[in-house]
Amino acid sequence: MEKILRKKSFPQWVKKLESYTIYAPTKNGDLWIYEVINHSEDINLDYLNTVLSPKKIIFPQREILLEFSASDDGNPEIKEVLPEENPSIVFGVRPCDAKALTLTDQVFGGDFDDLYYWKRRNQAILIGLACNTPPSPNCFCLSVNSSPHSKEGLDILMTDLGDRYYVESLTEKGNKLLNLAKKLFEEPKAKDKKDLEKIQLDSEKKIERQIKEIKKIPPKLKGMFDSPFWDEEAMSCIRCGICTYLCPTCHCFDISDEVLSSSPLEGKRVRTWDTCQFPDFTMHSSGHNPRPDKASRLRQRIMHKFQYFVERYKNFQCTGCGRCISKCPVGIDIIEVLDKVRDYGT
Amino acid sequence: MVSLEELKKEAQMLLEEGKVKYIVGYERSTNGLMPVPAFIKNPEDVERLVWDPSCIYNLTRFLVDEKRRKEKEKKPDTRPVGIVVKGCDSRAVVVLLQEKFINREDVFILGVSCENTGVVDEKKLAEKLKGKKADKIEFSDKDHFVITSNSEKIKIPAQEILAERCLECRASFPVISDVLLGEKVERRPDEPFKSVQKIESLSKEERWAFWKEQLDKCIRCYACRSVCPMCYCDECVVDTISFAVTADTAAEEKAQKIKWIEKSPDSSENFVYHLVRAIHLAGRCIDCGECERACPLDIPVRLLNKKLEKEAKELFDYDVGFDPEKPSLVSSFKDEDPEDFIR
Amino acid sequence: MADEFEPKIVAFLCKWCSSAGSDLAGVSRMQYPPNVIPITVMCSGSMSPLYILSAFKKGADGVLVSGCHPGDCHYIKGNYYARRRIALVKKLLEFIGLEPQRFQMSWVSAAEGTKYTQIIKEFVDELKPIGPQTKLRRSS
Repeated sequence: MEKILRKKSFPQWVKKLESYTIYAPTKNGDLWIYEVINHSEDINLDYLNTVLSPKKIIFPQREILLEFSASDDGNPEIKEVLPEENPSIVFGVRPCDAKALTLTDQVFGGDFDDLYYWKRRNQAILIGLACNTPPSPNCFCLSVNSSPHSKEGLDILMTDLGDRYYVESLTEKGNKLLNLAKKLFEEPKAKDKKDLEKIQLDSEKKIERQIKEIKKIPPKLKGMFDSPFWDEEAMSCIRCGICTYLCPTCHCFDISDEVLSSSPLEGKRVRTWDTCQFPDFTMHSSGHNPRPDKASRLRQRIMHKFQYFVERYKNFQCTGCGRCISKCPVGIDIIEVLDKVRDYGT
Repeated sequence: MVSLEELKKEAQMLLEEGKVKYIVGYERSTNGLMPVPAFIKNPEDVERLVWDPSCIYNLTRFLVDEKRRKEKEKKPDTRPVGIVVKGCDSRAVVVLLQEKFINREDVFILGVSCENTGVVDEKKLAEKLKGKKADKIEFSDKDHFVITSNSEKIKIPAQEILAERCLECRASFPVISDVLLGEKVERRPDEPFKSVQKIESLSKEERWAFWKEQLDKCIRCYACRSVCPMCYCDECVVDTISFAVTADTAAEEKAQKIKWIEKSPDSSENFVYHLVRAIHLAGRCIDCGECERACPLDIPVRLLNKKLEKEAKELFDYDVGFDPEKPSLVSSFKDEDPEDFIR
Repeated sequence: MADEFEPKIVAFLCKWCSSAGSDLAGVSRMQYPPNVIPITVMCSGSMSPLYILSAFKKGADGVLVSGCHPGDCHYIKGNYYARRRIALVKKLLEFIGLEPQRFQMSWVSAAEGTKYTQIIKEFVDELKPIGPQTKLRRSS
């Protein structure tokens, strides 16, 4: 359903939702970070984009998988630790971040459902905020099959029309939230719909960066595995891992045991984020490392996102949020790299 | 004023005469104001080099990468690498020389002086410009910067947008160089450790609250470590899986490797990681500020290292990164070292 | 009656002097609080900041590093290096807001059994009023 919500009524709607845990972007110094909101007045949707995408709510940096402790018969007692019941709402999700979750859904779902991921995913209701202007000068969502007002992955999409929001509910969960405060929502008029269309068209024009002829890139990449191209491009990479940690689609993880005490035995098995950009990501226990240098790791990141994922899931593993470009300490620009790939050898 | 043309000429000469393998400098990037590291191999490419207040990076990191690359090559090219350094960066080169990590003949130092100013802090600039996009920034007069924004030229006093560490600068021109461009303008700040003193003046509980809030944000991406030229250990004590393994390493050895710090970003693990890193950098950190610049969560990690730089000076009269012949801070001692804290 | 807080102190004692000093205290049947967990290291100069931070991380309320008097080090210079390094560690821990009483260093020779017991007694008395160490301790 499509409704209009006056901005001054917005805090009242949030108040009706207080039985849920509410996450929203909050300002921390110069940055925006998703935090739990305790007062409905604290939500400020006047923001650009967060440093870490809402992926960190669904797939946290550190997650306990199971706990083990000593038992009387000498064998360790193992207790599964699933995410707790926590019906949540995430406000202010940008369309690129929401689309990214549909991509990680395919990885954590499909043949095998990751219990931990899905428990959190299913209990989080995502309320998106369309981008009237690009949050970052490095946004390029249009090039990767997304848009500033894409509805993919969202339960509700809100668009800022000035003094009111255009609220589109896209799923049953979204409808439920709107119904909790029926009186606050109005029916949209023709002018509202016209304003919405204009904003949507304008927002697309404002995106400055693009990857031209992106369809040429996956087949081109296939032939570039052994190319010296990667050595040149990776010269300045300092293998810090920021690009992958901030990326809303990246999902590699490591599992390790944290032993609190060895006798009596007590510990946890935790899952943490990992990144293909660390030198030891592919270290084998024999000491062999198939990706020992920066060139092979940069190649891995680009090919995983723009060739392997395309072959497997028919989607680019990138939604154009631009975080990797803005935050790379040495200015490695994924758009520039892809442009060079497309034109390589010509 | 440093002449960019002179820098390019020097670079060109070095490459034409084959005196260096390649030159590490700064060049314009494809997005935004900040430059990116440039690796110039051919004399005609020197045109790409730039030098302006946006050149904030410490390129010394790439000397470490170069050494690693040489180690893997069977017949390495033994010519030196040319590198463009500012005053602070040159101190990093001195520390690498001090520790015999690189030899003097491995590096050809193209020093540039910051003269009266320094490099710009992107965030301070953005605040000053209030939404206007900066396309270019140049040195101007003795202590101003000129910013070009959409063909509008805006002149700002440098002091207002200099990086924090430039306000505490202890080396405004390279302390070691093969070629030096620009004038050697001495600048001795009145309070070289002001940012540290600000934290020290807080009460114990306030200090704890400050550091807890900051370090709880840490996602352990290790960017601070990756960008630091001094963090060159093959096997960092934090990465418990990265110890050198060969076919001969016994299973028992692998199993008994001590795990000092867990991988996950728990509050106390984050503290221990940052504190250990600061202590390992005592007497080695020269405050290039890269760790803080690289941190995606804006954690002021530079302050931990700066604190120890202050203590090195105050307790042991040790100046970091000025003399390549000096022994390192923690493997030297004086009879007069203070021991009033010892029972 | 409520249990009084008993601080846990981890003491890194150098093998040749301080550890021997603590042994002398034991052999002479000197009484001193049982709150110490002694760990012998070869030399105070071999102390890594990781040992100290690891002790705090695991919940130690206080950490003591003890070595030979200057000039008496079995390895000639080890304690001089320790004097420098521990000073830096102490300043850094204070900087982040850890109570300064929690981390101490001492010179204890093999003959100073009494001094060792005094140091421990004073340390325990200083820690009791400030309670357990929660700042660097692992909570989860």
